[in-house]
Amino acid sequence: MRTATIVLVAYFSCVILGAVWRLMPWAIHDAVPDLGALTAAYLGLTARRNVAPAVGGSVVLGYLVDLISGAPPGLIALVLALTSIIARAVQQRIYVRGATMTIAFSAFVSLLAGIVALFVRALYHVPSAAMSIELRHLALVAVATGLIGPIVWRIFRRIDAAYARTHRERDAALEGLAP
Amino acid sequence: MTLRRRLVDWSLAGLLVLLPALVLKASLARGTPSGLDQALLRITAPLEAGVSWVVEGIGGLWNRYVALVGVEAENRELREDNDKLRRQLATTTRKAFDVEALEDLAVVKRRTPADTLGARVIGAPVSPQFRVIRIRIDRGEKDVAPGMPVITGTGPVGRIDRVYGDYADVTLMSDVSSSIEVVIPRTGGRGMLAGLGRPDSYACTIGWLEKQANPTAKVEVGDEVVTSGLGASFPPGLVVGKVSKVARDDGMFQRVEVEPAVDVSRVRAVEVLLAPPPPPDPDAKTKKRSEPAFGGRPL
Repeated sequence: MRTATIVLVAYFSCVILGAVWRLMPWAIHDAVPDLGALTAAYLGLTARRNVAPAVGGSVVLGYLVDLISGAPPGLIALVLALTSIIARAVQQRIYVRGATMTIAFSAFVSLLAGIVALFVRALYHVPSAAMSIELRHLALVAVATGLIGPIVWRIFRRIDAAYARTHRERDAALEGLAP
Repeated sequence: MTLRRRLVDWSLAGLLVLLPALVLKASLARGTPSGLDQALLRITAPLEAGVSWVVEGIGGLWNRYVALVGVEAENRELREDNDKLRRQLATTTRKAFDVEALEDLAVVKRRTPADTLGARVIGAPVSPQFRVIRIRIDRGEKDVAPGMPVITGTGPVGRIDRVYGDYADVTLMSDVSSSIEVVIPRTGGRGMLAGLGRPDSYACTIGWLEKQANPTAKVEVGDEVVTSGLGASFPPGLVVGKVSKVARDDGMFQRVEVEPAVDVSRVRAVEVLLAPPPPPDPDAKTKKRSEPAFGGRPL
């Protein structure tokens, strides 16, 4: 239920963000925050015992994002699944707490997802823009994702707290402590 | 967590990674959305449309009614640009009109068998009913003299009445003092065209139009009226106008009204005929024998 709620909230946020970001001036409308990558990373990082629900949630969210973004179905789903697994792998080594760390980790996740996406596109021969444009886009998206990262993580932690079974779990979720 | 459960979990995760990889491969091979894609799009599209509608509505409110910084300055600049462009357009339109009139005059000059002089219309006093009474041209005592005919590409305009300094006034064909020898080509009837001097129209009249013996040769409304070339002023064949009304028919003569072909209110340039056209040579088409010179015959 927890994963489903996070995926649904993330999907609605993606829809709203997509509509809002089109109205942004200058180059900001090119820098759409990578909410999908943030969600996949959060799911991977906070996966309790089983990793499959986190990967499943990432795949579903990625598939929905594929549909609304016009990407070939499966592309973002695959990228988010891999991002989720990578986040699960670093679960015991990274402790995301505090605004600076959250911003930095969000930007890192965005960069990671962007690089994985480039790799997957190259693997499947999906057409891409020139490398300079792709890198500029990656940088802009990383900055935007880093900036909205703390808000998104706060929302996800609230959802986690709502699904906590004990007071201790609830406090741990709100504090951003490892499950 | 036992090893077996861990293995199952990671196997499931691996399958979940494999699934989008296969979907991506299939979608790239297919090129079109699958049935599942279409079904999901049908469900999610209204949500996206609704969100876009709300967000764009709020954005529109903001842009149109709140964030109006710089609009006044932009508006002022646009107004100035608009004024400048209007002035340029007016100048260009006037020049285009002048060019058109001058081209027309060039054609007239080429086909008129007489010495002519181009002139620009610089004034046109109007009646209380907004009809042009006479026109003033930019040719004076050095160039023109009273009585000289004035024409345009469309037809005759009138004659020069007064000349003073560098300007001259032209009495229009519609003036009561004007008279031009005309002929109706269809019937062959000749007459003298005179202006009616009406303040609200340019109508002219032919008071005593010759009627031909043939009863079918009666002048009718719509018949074309041209200059006859008699009187040695206007060259023959210039279209004067059309018969607009047959006012009287008394057996030998008819009295008709003529609507002039030239719209005097739009005339910007005219040609003044400096000398009457040369009379037609009656022997132009016959061979003449030369007279003997010094008593001998030519070879």
